[in-house]
Amino acid sequence: MPFRLNIMLCTGTGCVSNGAFPLLEAFEKEIKKHELHGEVAVIPTGCNGFCAVGPLVVVQPDEIFYQRLRIEDVPFLVQEHFLKGRPVKKFMYTPPETKEPIPVMSDIPFFGKQMLIALRNRGLIDPENIDEYIARDGYKGFTKAITTMTPKQVIDEVKASGLRGRGGGGFPTGLKWEVAFNTQSDEKFIIINCDEGDPGAFMDRSIVESDPHSVIEGVLIGAYALGVKQVYIYVRMEYPLALKRFYRALEHATEYGLLGKNILGKGMDLEIEVHRGAGAFICGEETALIRSIQGFVGEAQAKYIYPAEKGLNGKPTIINNVETWANIPQIILRGAKWFASIGTRGKNGDGGSTGTKVFSLVGKVHNTGLVEVPMGITLREIIYDIGGGIKNNKKFKSVQTGGPSGGFLPESLLDLPVDFDELLKVGSMMGSGGMVVTDEDNCMVDMARYFLDFVQSESCGKCIPCREGTKRMLDILERITFGQGTEEDLVKLEELSKLIVESSLCALGGTAPNPVLTTMKYFREEYEAHVKNKKCPAHTCKPLITYTIDGKICVEKGHGCGVCRKNCPQSAIAGELKKEHRIDPAKCDKCGICYDVCKFDAIYVD
Amino acid sequence: MITLKIDGIEVQVPEETTVLKAAEKVGVWIPTMCHNDLFEPYAVCRLCSVEVVRGKRSRVVTACNYPVSEGIEVLTDSENIRWIRKFLMELILSRWPNVKVVKEMAEKLNVGKPRYESLEKDEAEDACILCGQCVNVCREVVQANVIGFSYRGIKREVVLPLGEQSDKCIVCGACALVCPTGHIKMVIEDYKGKKPEFTLGPKTSIYVPTMQGIPRVPVIDAESCIHFKTGGCEVCAKVCEPHAVNYDMKDEIVEIDVGQILLSTGYDIFDASKMTQFGYGRLNDVYSSLEFEMMLSSMGPTSGKVLTKDGKEPRSIGIVHCVGSRDTNHHPYCSRVCCMYALKFAHLVCDRTDAEIYQFYIDMRAFGKGYEEFYVRILDEGVKVIRGKVAEVSEVTSSGEYKNQLIIRCEDTLAGKILEVPVDMVILCNAIEPRKDIDAVRRLFSISKSPDGFFLERHPKLDPTSTMSDGIYIAGCAQGPKDIPDTVAQASSAAARILSYISKGEVEIDPVRAWIDDKYCAGCRICNNLCPYTAIDFIEEKKISQINDVLCKGCGTCVAACPASAITGKGFSDAQIVAELEGLLAI
Repeated sequence: MPFRLNIMLCTGTGCVSNGAFPLLEAFEKEIKKHELHGEVAVIPTGCNGFCAVGPLVVVQPDEIFYQRLRIEDVPFLVQEHFLKGRPVKKFMYTPPETKEPIPVMSDIPFFGKQMLIALRNRGLIDPENIDEYIARDGYKGFTKAITTMTPKQVIDEVKASGLRGRGGGGFPTGLKWEVAFNTQSDEKFIIINCDEGDPGAFMDRSIVESDPHSVIEGVLIGAYALGVKQVYIYVRMEYPLALKRFYRALEHATEYGLLGKNILGKGMDLEIEVHRGAGAFICGEETALIRSIQGFVGEAQAKYIYPAEKGLNGKPTIINNVETWANIPQIILRGAKWFASIGTRGKNGDGGSTGTKVFSLVGKVHNTGLVEVPMGITLREIIYDIGGGIKNNKKFKSVQTGGPSGGFLPESLLDLPVDFDELLKVGSMMGSGGMVVTDEDNCMVDMARYFLDFVQSESCGKCIPCREGTKRMLDILERITFGQGTEEDLVKLEELSKLIVESSLCALGGTAPNPVLTTMKYFREEYEAHVKNKKCPAHTCKPLITYTIDGKICVEKGHGCGVCRKNCPQSAIAGELKKEHRIDPAKCDKCGICYDVCKFDAIYVD
Repeated sequence: MITLKIDGIEVQVPEETTVLKAAEKVGVWIPTMCHNDLFEPYAVCRLCSVEVVRGKRSRVVTACNYPVSEGIEVLTDSENIRWIRKFLMELILSRWPNVKVVKEMAEKLNVGKPRYESLEKDEAEDACILCGQCVNVCREVVQANVIGFSYRGIKREVVLPLGEQSDKCIVCGACALVCPTGHIKMVIEDYKGKKPEFTLGPKTSIYVPTMQGIPRVPVIDAESCIHFKTGGCEVCAKVCEPHAVNYDMKDEIVEIDVGQILLSTGYDIFDASKMTQFGYGRLNDVYSSLEFEMMLSSMGPTSGKVLTKDGKEPRSIGIVHCVGSRDTNHHPYCSRVCCMYALKFAHLVCDRTDAEIYQFYIDMRAFGKGYEEFYVRILDEGVKVIRGKVAEVSEVTSSGEYKNQLIIRCEDTLAGKILEVPVDMVILCNAIEPRKDIDAVRRLFSISKSPDGFFLERHPKLDPTSTMSDGIYIAGCAQGPKDIPDTVAQASSAAARILSYISKGEVEIDPVRAWIDDKYCAGCRICNNLCPYTAIDFIEEKKISQINDVLCKGCGTCVAACPASAITGKGFSDAQIVAELEGLLAI
C-alpha cells in the first residue's frame, strides 16, 4: 500500500550519535497517536551526507528537508506537517547569508552541485531492505552483465569507462582486472577494501551503511568477469553499523539467490566472507591487507609483482575499494560512454579522471558532510558552493586532500580541478577522498606535525626510511613547534622527505612527507616565523605565544573587572578592581581562559 | 634467459632472478643487512636500493626483490644511490651505534658520525636491529611461527607471542643462527647434571654416524631434524645438487631367517654420579672416561684439544681408576680395561699438553702383551702414579692459589700418607657393566646370566663362546669385561663354531625330547608358558599344543605339569620307567 508521506530519517553514524534512533521511536509513537500509521511511513535510511545539521529527515515525495530535530520537536512537526499539511519553516535549513529557509532538499546549495552515482540511493531506500534496492534498478547491472555480456566484454566496458581506483592510488580498475583476467590460475580472489583508516574520512562507511547492495552487485559483476568464487570483505572493527547492514545484505542476497551456488541459474557460484580488521591503518594498503587476511601481521610487501598476478595465497587477487565497487553496477547498466562523459579527460585520451568522487568534507567549513561531485569540479566550488564557505567569517588558509599523507593546498590553488593527476602535480593526492579545510587559526607547522605524528605512529615499522625517517622528521617538527628549531632543521626536513619518498617500501612511506613538503612549499613563511622569530603566526603553538593585557583597555573599558584574575587556574594574573591587571609570564601556562572570558578584548595574543 | 646491464656490464640470467643475484654473478657488490637466501626477500633495510633505467625512465628499487627484465640497465653506484645508502646508514647508525655489523657496514659505505640524533638510541653491542631475519627464518624455513613483530612504527619490536616461550618452539636455534648481531642467544640449560656439550650424540641433525664406516654417507636424525617436527625447512634438499635427500625413508623392521646367532651386544658404563664423592655431574671438569675419549677425538667437540669447561688448557689432571669396579658397593669384578686406557689417556695428554698427570690406582693390571712395557714408558714420561683409592673430589671455593681448582683426597698406601692433590680436571675410569636391557635379551634367547650380570657361557673354561641354547653364541663385553684383543679372539672362535655347523649342513640333536600325544592334549596351554626354552607352541587350528624338537632340551617340566598326562619324555614314558624299575627290582 503506498503511503501518502515517507519520512526518510537519516540513520548514518553521524545522525545516530546525534540521537536518530530515539527520534525514530518518537516519530513512530506520535504518528500512531494521530492514527497516521496507514498513511505516513518512517523509513530509516543510510547517511544523507549533510552530517553538519543532523539528525535530519527528508519528507518524500515533496523532498522537504528538516534539520537538527529534537525529540520535543516531533509532536509539533507531526501535527503541523503530517496532519495539517503545513511544512514547518523553523526546522528547515537556512543558509547563513540569506536567512531565508529553503524547504526543498535539492534547492539547498549543499546538494545542488552534487552528482550521485556511488551514493545514488542514499537517503532514498532502507539499506536493510533488498526490495527497495531492487526497485531502484538494483541488480539490473549484474543481470545485464551475466545475460548479455561475456566476461571479456565486461572488462572492456570497465576499461572504457576510465574508472580509476577510489581507494587512493587511482590505478585504472579495468587495467587491473585485465591483468588478473589474463593471469592463468585455478583460483582467483576478490577483496573488498573497507578498511578506511584516514582520520575524518567516512566515504566507504557511508556507502556500506546506506547502500550495501550496490557493493555486492559490483562484486558480483567483477566475480562474473574474472571467474572468482570467493570474495573477502575487509571491514574495520570500528564500523559496527556498516558490518550489521552488510551482514543483513548478505543474508538477503543469499535468500534471493544472488549469492551462493548456481546464481540466477547461470551456474555461477560466489561466497562473500567478512573479515574484520583489528585497527591498523596500514592494513588499508593492499599487500598488508592480504597478509592480514592470511593471518600474519599487517605489513606491506614489495609490489614489483602486482596482487592482480600474485596476491592472496599466491593467487591472482583483485582488491578494490568499496566506492570503486559501488560504481561498477552503474557503469554496466548505463554504459561506459555515459560514465566517461563525466569528469576530465587527460591528454591523448588517456589518464584523466572520469565519473564522480565522494569526499568527506570536514574542517572549518559551514556544511561538513559527505559529498559526491563530478571529477573536474574545482576545489573552490566544493568548499564555497557546497561547503558554504569558512565558518565564523574567518579567512581560508588551506585545504588538505587525500587523507593524512595528502598535501595542503593554498588559496592560489583553489581553482584547481579535482583530478587524480592534477592533485599529484601540486604535491597532494586524491587519496580516498578526505578533505580537511583549515582557516587562519590553524598553524600549518602544527598541522604538518599532527599528520606526520599520525603517519609515524601508524607506520608498520617494517622498513627503515619510514620507521626511522618519519620519527626523525617528527622530532624536528616538534622542536620547531616548541620554538627550538633552527634553519638547518628546515634543510633536514626537506632532505629526510626526499629520502623517505625515494626509498620507502610502500605508498604509506612514499607519501608520508606530503603534508610537510606542501606546507613548506606553500606556507614557508610560517616555518620561518617559527624558526627565525620564534613566533607562531596562527597563535597555535603554545610555547611560542604570550598573552598580554592591554592596560589601557582593561582600565578604561573593563574598569579592571578581575574576571580574568578569578578564572586563571595558575593564579598568574595580578591586579585590583578598577586597576590595571597584569599576567606573570613565568606563571602563565597559556591555557587561553583569560582570553576567552575577557568581555572587553583587553587581552591579546602575540 | 634475460639480458640486462649492471653498471655497464652485460649479464644473462634466467627469468625471475633478482637484480641482487644477477649482480652477484658479475661480481658487483650491493650492500644489504636484511637479506638471506634462506627465505623470500624481506626488503626492509633498503640499503640494496639501485636505480633501474628502462629507456628514459629511471626508478629506485630494491635489488633484493626486484625481478630482472629484458633490456633494463641497473645502476648500483649512481650519485643518487650513494646518497640514499649513506643517508639510510646514518639513520641506522644513529640508532644502533655500537652494533658490530652496523659499524662495519657504515665503514664500507663511508659513513662517519651520523648527523641525526636518535631519541631511541640503543647503545648495546648486541642490540636487535629489526632486520627480521629471525622472524622470517622461523616462519618460512622452520615454519614454527613462534617469533613475530609487535607494535607499530618506531616502537616495533621482535617478540615471542604474548611474551612467553611458545611450546611450538622446537628450540632449533635457527633464529640465533641467522641473527646478525647476536641479540638472540641459545641458552644451554644444564639439566639433570648432564653436560650437553660432551654427549656422544650427533652435534647436528645431519651427521655421518661413523667416519670410518662404509658406506660413509650422512644420515638425518629424525628426532632433532626441523623438517620432521614442523614439516618445514628442507634446506638440505634445496642445497643438495644430486637430489639425494629423501625424507620418506623410515626405520624398518626386517625379518631374516637364520640358523645361528652371535650375541655381541656390548656393555654400558657405570653411572659415576651414583658415587657422589667424585662429584660427577655436580662439579665442573669431572668427566667420565667416554666423555674424555670424545674430547680426545679429532671429530669431537673440542677437535681433540684437551680443555677445561672455561676453555683453558688444564695445568694438572687426575685420573681415578676403579670407579664402580672392584667395589663391593657396586661391582666386585675388575673391569679389566681401565688401567690400560688410563695409561693411554696419560700418554695422549702428555703429548698434547704440558699438564701434570696423576694416576690413582688400586693395583696396576698390565697383563697383556706389551702392556707392562707401555706402563714403564708412561712412568718414564713423568706421569705420577699413586697407589690408593680416592676418597673424595671437592672444589676449592676459597680464594688463593688453588681457587676454582679441584682437590683429590687420597691415601698413598705405599707412602702411608694422606694426600690432597689440586687438579684442573678429573677423569673417572667408569666400570664396565652389563647393558640395561640384558634381561630382555636374555629371555628372548633363553640364556642365563652369571652373578656379575653378564651373559653366561656354557662352560667358563671349555666352551666360553656358546650358551645353553643351541645355536646362540656370545662374544665380547656382553659375556664379561674384556679388551679388544680378547674380544676379537672370542668373536673369531664363535664365528668358527658357527661356520663349522654351516659347512656340515645338518644338525644333530640329543634324543632326549618330550612329545605331546594329540589324542590326550586338551589344549589347556599350561605347558606353553612353563617351557623355559619356549619350545611349545599352541596350534590354533587343531586347538592343541606342539613341541618344537629343535628347541626342546628334554628337561621334563612340561611332562610333570600336564594335567592330562598327554606329554611324555621320549624314552622316559611311564611304562618305560616302570619297566626299568621292575627290571631293577627283579634282581
